[in-house]
Amino acid sequence: MIKSFITSFKLKNTYRANSIIYSIKQFPIINKILPNSLYKNKGLKIFANIISILLEIIFTFIGKFLYVWLVIFSMLAIYSVEKNDLFLHIFLFLTIGGAFMNTYMLNPTKDKYYAIVLMNFDAKKYGLSNYYYQLLRIIIGFMPFTVLFGLIINIPLWLCILLPFFVVAVKLIVMNYCIWDYKKTKKAKNENIPTAIVWSIIAICVLLAYGLPALNIVINQTIFLIVFVVAIIFGIYSIFIINSFKDYRKMYKQILTETNVYAMENNTGVKAMKDNSLKQIELDNGYISNKTGFAFFHELFVKRHSKILTKAVKKQAVIILLIFAILFIAIKINPIIAGKINRITLVYLPYFVFIMYCINRSSSVTQAMFMNCDHSMLTYRIYRTPKVILGIFRERLKTLIIINLLPALLIGFGLATLLYLSGGTDNPINYLVIIVSIIAMSIFFSVHYLVMYYLLQPYNASTEMKSSTYKVVQGLTYFVAYFFIGVKIPTLYFGIAMIIFCIGYSLISLVLAYKYAPKTFKLRT
Amino acid sequence: MKLVIKHLKKSFDKKEVLKDINFEFEKGKIYGLLGRNGAGKTTFFNCLNEDLDVDAGEFYILDNNKKKAIKPEDIGYVLSTPNVPEFLTGREFLKFFIEINQERIKNIKSTDEYFDFMKIDKEDRDKLLKDYSHGMKNKMQMLVNIIANPNVLLFDEPLTSLDIVVQEEMKQMLKEIKKDHIIIFSTHIMELALDLCDEIVILNKGVLEEVNKENLDNEQFKNKIMEALKEE
Repeated sequence: MIKSFITSFKLKNTYRANSIIYSIKQFPIINKILPNSLYKNKGLKIFANIISILLEIIFTFIGKFLYVWLVIFSMLAIYSVEKNDLFLHIFLFLTIGGAFMNTYMLNPTKDKYYAIVLMNFDAKKYGLSNYYYQLLRIIIGFMPFTVLFGLIINIPLWLCILLPFFVVAVKLIVMNYCIWDYKKTKKAKNENIPTAIVWSIIAICVLLAYGLPALNIVINQTIFLIVFVVAIIFGIYSIFIINSFKDYRKMYKQILTETNVYAMENNTGVKAMKDNSLKQIELDNGYISNKTGFAFFHELFVKRHSKILTKAVKKQAVIILLIFAILFIAIKINPIIAGKINRITLVYLPYFVFIMYCINRSSSVTQAMFMNCDHSMLTYRIYRTPKVILGIFRERLKTLIIINLLPALLIGFGLATLLYLSGGTDNPINYLVIIVSIIAMSIFFSVHYLVMYYLLQPYNASTEMKSSTYKVVQGLTYFVAYFFIGVKIPTLYFGIAMIIFCIGYSLISLVLAYKYAPKTFKLRT
Repeated sequence: MKLVIKHLKKSFDKKEVLKDINFEFEKGKIYGLLGRNGAGKTTFFNCLNEDLDVDAGEFYILDNNKKKAIKPEDIGYVLSTPNVPEFLTGREFLKFFIEINQERIKNIKSTDEYFDFMKIDKEDRDKLLKDYSHGMKNKMQMLVNIIANPNVLLFDEPLTSLDIVVQEEMKQMLKEIKKDHIIIFSTHIMELALDLCDEIVILNKGVLEEVNKENLDNEQFKNKIMEALKEE
């Protein structure tokens, strides 16, 4: 087992090191200097290997730190119950939910795919040795932070030390359940596509973790210890089940498909990405378009991609309405909440940059546009004439803006209503600013993604991403949106600034698109 | 040694792709598997490789009249679209592959010897597989499957993407290794099948049947195969 682990660890480290060298090579100028045989260079390899191991160590701790700190510790202040009981309470329920969400074993990762499918690694040896390694990482990664944060709120040291073992025990039990489920159904479940049952379990756990304390119900240390002991006993029993299970290879063959493994990646999983895009197409025979030319062409695209366009937006709208409905009720019931919400609407507008970024559909839509349409159409000379390019660009722009506008309008008016119901404001202009700025943000993201796509069209004929600039722009967009999360500026000033920026940006980028898109919108070589 | 298949069945929803497959493949021969588009050749291979569960029937290896269940290491499967770990160099892929499978590889050679055997240029050996051409990836995939030395080798249209010089090299290579393996080779190219394969097997309407050459000349044999494929 240890030997297989060492081989698998070396394998993982080698391709991580290669990925590091590869990303260094992605920078425009360095690319020219460094030769292709770079991957042979011993010194560089050792350097990349060290970085890769360092990253492994850092990632062992950083996730656990953020989890204990943000998800548990920082939530304690919200409730008015005993802090150390509350800590254990949230920890317990989130651990159960988390164990279903992430088993490690059933996560179709690339390293498993490489080793088991492409290299014939013994599936059981690989699966088990890496599984136990991950469990060990949980213990090592959690320990410093359960101790640190636990001691701050007076949880006894011995209990702080036991907490990580609870996580491991629950994970083992859930894995035992997964094996039982597999034996029964003969179907291995990819944990990145949770079933309805798993979703419900997770939802219930989250609800219990954060909901019960609001009603002043939390478990105490004794209950936690009882659950702990039970978990440890079943956990140890599960180890035997997990070790004696034989069909790892069959199970992995089911989940380690190309589509699963590459689902999370954009660059390398070309085929998987194409498959995913193709899945978005729906053929509704009853549909007839009366339009002609580009409008006809585009309308068919929109109709047949309703899954990622209209339907997705309608789902968003329902969720947004629900959230606002809950908030409206909360305001009516509780004046303290009303006060807080009033303040939020008046200073937290920047946060909505991130929210608008998250709900905007344009990024995935432009990808589908390429995969299911432009990828093949761009090989025809006639499709690349300026008239056609700009004609379709116009149609697409209209669609993207209109589609993204529905959730934007709901959020805009919802926020304005929230502000009004929660006590209003001295300056009525605030209402207008909120609505207009949210709409402006929505239009901004629609324009931004489409223009970037037309100006930087990053894919080549075999649908590989070739433009590092495009990746940088995408990354920057995320970073900027994310940056606004913590920013507090009065809504009036921020809103007005945002409106001006969005209008200015949109105008400039549209001018650029009209001027340059006929030249830049082509397949990369 | 033989690969014996008995009453193998596989359907997707209502469509019976493999109705009743019965066949014995012998060691030392290359079998050319022909079939129209959608006839179920890939499904057949996927069943043998246990990527798909069969609905009914069995298949096993018969060695000196002893029945042996098929183990993962008995089958090597070379797909038409090559699958390689993109973020390893050719050399690293080979090195790890050998390390992982060392127990079943007979007389292990150095990586360079293997590269020489497969005629992969020196300057390509330390490039990322990501940057290999389609044909080169194909060569790598074939190489590791041959090194692993499985009893049964399944090739799904493997030579189509290779240039004609490499095709010729691979043909020679397959002829060299065939004495130790059961090789099943699916293709759409009649010339390739006639040139390389010892037996022609047709998958039509969910059933496998051999087309005997008897004493026909090539042209007559081709017509016979064509007739068999067209049969409704």
